[in-house]
Amino acid sequence: MIRNRTPEYARRDVLRMLGVGGAAVASASALSACGLGTGGSSASNGANEVTGSFDWKKAAGTEISILQTPHPYQVAFQPLLAEFTELTGITVKADLVAEADYFTRLNTELASGAGNYDAFMTGAYFIWTYGPPGWMEDLRPWIDNPAATAGEYDFEDIYEGLRTSTAWDFQVGSPLGTGGQWAIPWGFETNVIAYNKAEFDRRGIRPAETFDNLIQLATDLTDRSQNRYGIAFRGSRSWATIHPGFMTQFTRQGCVDYVNEGGKLTAQMNSAKAVEFTQKWVNLAKAAGPTSWTTYEYPDCTGDLGAGTAMMCYDADSATYPQNKQGNSAQAGNLAWHPGPPGPDGKYGTNLWTWSLAMSSASKKKLAAWLFIQWATGKEAQAKAVQTGKLGFADPTRKSVFDGTFKSTLGGFPGYQETFEKVIDSTSIKFTPQTQFFDTTEQWAAALQDIYSGQEAKGRLDALAAASTTSVNEGR
Amino acid sequence: MTLTATPGKLERTGPPVRAVPPWRRKLRPYVLSLPAVFLIVGILYPFGLGVYYVFLNYAAQVPRPVLIGLANLTGVLSDAAFWNSAGFTVLYAVLATVIETVLGVGIALLLNRSSLIGRVLERVLILPLMIAPVIAGVIWGLMFNPQFGVLNYVLGLGSTFDWFSESRAMWSALLVDAWIFTPFVAVLVLAGIRSLPREPFEASEVDGASWFTMFRRLMLPMIWPYILVAVIFRFMDSLKVFDHVFVLTAGGPGDATRTLQIGAYQNSIITFKYSIGSTYMFLLWVIVFLTARYLVGVLGKAQRRAAGTEA
Repeated sequence: MIRNRTPEYARRDVLRMLGVGGAAVASASALSACGLGTGGSSASNGANEVTGSFDWKKAAGTEISILQTPHPYQVAFQPLLAEFTELTGITVKADLVAEADYFTRLNTELASGAGNYDAFMTGAYFIWTYGPPGWMEDLRPWIDNPAATAGEYDFEDIYEGLRTSTAWDFQVGSPLGTGGQWAIPWGFETNVIAYNKAEFDRRGIRPAETFDNLIQLATDLTDRSQNRYGIAFRGSRSWATIHPGFMTQFTRQGCVDYVNEGGKLTAQMNSAKAVEFTQKWVNLAKAAGPTSWTTYEYPDCTGDLGAGTAMMCYDADSATYPQNKQGNSAQAGNLAWHPGPPGPDGKYGTNLWTWSLAMSSASKKKLAAWLFIQWATGKEAQAKAVQTGKLGFADPTRKSVFDGTFKSTLGGFPGYQETFEKVIDSTSIKFTPQTQFFDTTEQWAAALQDIYSGQEAKGRLDALAAASTTSVNEGR
Repeated sequence: MTLTATPGKLERTGPPVRAVPPWRRKLRPYVLSLPAVFLIVGILYPFGLGVYYVFLNYAAQVPRPVLIGLANLTGVLSDAAFWNSAGFTVLYAVLATVIETVLGVGIALLLNRSSLIGRVLERVLILPLMIAPVIAGVIWGLMFNPQFGVLNYVLGLGSTFDWFSESRAMWSALLVDAWIFTPFVAVLVLAGIRSLPREPFEASEVDGASWFTMFRRLMLPMIWPYILVAVIFRFMDSLKVFDHVFVLTAGGPGDATRTLQIGAYQNSIITFKYSIGSTYMFLLWVIVFLTARYLVGVLGKAQRRAAGTEA
């Protein structure tokens, strides 16, 4: 028998259903935060569609949208955008998102595949994540197309370490510099030591030339009763803790993050050398670093250097540079730069960070976007930004601009130029490129914190290496 | 005054009423329910999408995800990091709720005494509630800084006291939590106290009952439903804590303060593993949902007891 009747709900049933709905309401926003659409683009490269002779006015009348984060580079270029519009007839609508939220926003935008932004600022490490899904346009065809790129652009003028850092073929085990050119370096930083020269001169001391001497020097300079400590470097639970001073000195001490064994990466954070170095680094943080080291990010480090609380800072040269500009800090005019200790082999392997400009593969205005990128990374605009940037423009990515305009701005920055010239040839990304970079590197930072909190270094790094090896090879 | 009009015989003035066409009558319920439909679809769609992701291998590195069944759930549930986060989240929620409830009830009792100071404090008290937790996290982070923060200076702790060492990080986060949310409990309980009838208290005073007896035997049973409401809100909210904890510690040192929400954020936003992040959120939702159901049941019972309809 088929019964056909209207279901009867008791009041309790209705309340129960409302409860389920209510709980869903409470959780929906959180769950939706994890849902980022199924973006990705299969759009073909747009460079081949550009033919004829090169002309800056080829996309006149177009408006492009770019996504940027507030930064000295962006500040330096903001007033120059009018000149770009005058040159090309293209108007630029720039959206700014604070650095803390920048990559969350960018990731969401790119993943959506909407193509709301034609060009955007990005770091080199992000290419390893944004590239494989097809979110970024390969700029190599654009560079190679004389109809799209001015003859005087001179891509090779950009430092080699930077050019290779933004190119990869996305094959695990392949080195950087292979495959497409996913972004054009715009500004960059080497990771070296900035120190309080006035205090060093007063004491008659010089920066350390070996890592052990650096530990001793920083410890000697530390006087907690005077609220003064030896050296500031990052310690927060973030991948960004690893890439500046830590990775630079890690490399100089002869350590590597992974080795490629037959196409399979094996993590080396637990090699004997790496364990010894990591333990020393953590000991340095305890003995001569900031008290709340596990919360320290670069503004804290550079701020302490500028305030005179930290005597040295092992971080990006471009991040410490503004602290020496008059009016920016209490120690402005008192700072100087040093490459930091070389490794036992005397080499100055240095990890870099570059803010680069990239194009969304979902952009519908690719020619205009490329003209913008080309202009912003070109010699003329970069030289002007170096001269007029309110917060400076350290460091320009072009050798001609560094040797020309930038050097003339370094009069009051003792050791900056010498340091740069000492490390530039050995400056590149020292990480092995791999798509799980942010996961494995954040776990690396968490491991440093655990060791700082008292865990035994070897055991903790063994666990980290095992997890990292699994992660980079299985992609989970 | 005398009523002269006869009920039922009032004459209507004004333009004649047009009859509503039957089709409009039939359509009306559907039109009226449209906002609710939009609301529910708008909310349930992302929820459903989030649940769907739990069964995919979706990540930035996997732009064309496929269904992988329960692999994410089994993977996350067998991961020690998840259980560490779950344990910390529950501990944090329990401690935050207990601390804020005890302090909130105490403050409400103090403010109930009518005085000028009480009235001023009553208004000042809600100020922390007006500050977004993420902003509170930034402010407290600056105050906690051992190098230049005001707390170490005022408390004479020098520059060596680390508020975010492994053993102190949770308590520092709880301190900020209590600063923000204790006023919420206090205001809610104070409203409850002020709604109580005076007679039982006056009668017990005449009978010579002590203040403590009156509080324990009279006031507490009557304000218990209000306290429970505050407990439910705070416990649910604390289970979902993210903002100020993330700003203060980012889940560290190590994983010492990694709540489930922070775990979900790290997986989804930092490392781009959307399905793993969704799995974290789904499991958190299950925890919150079950806990909410239990606590709402307890509240209903307390309300019935306070109303005298249940022994």
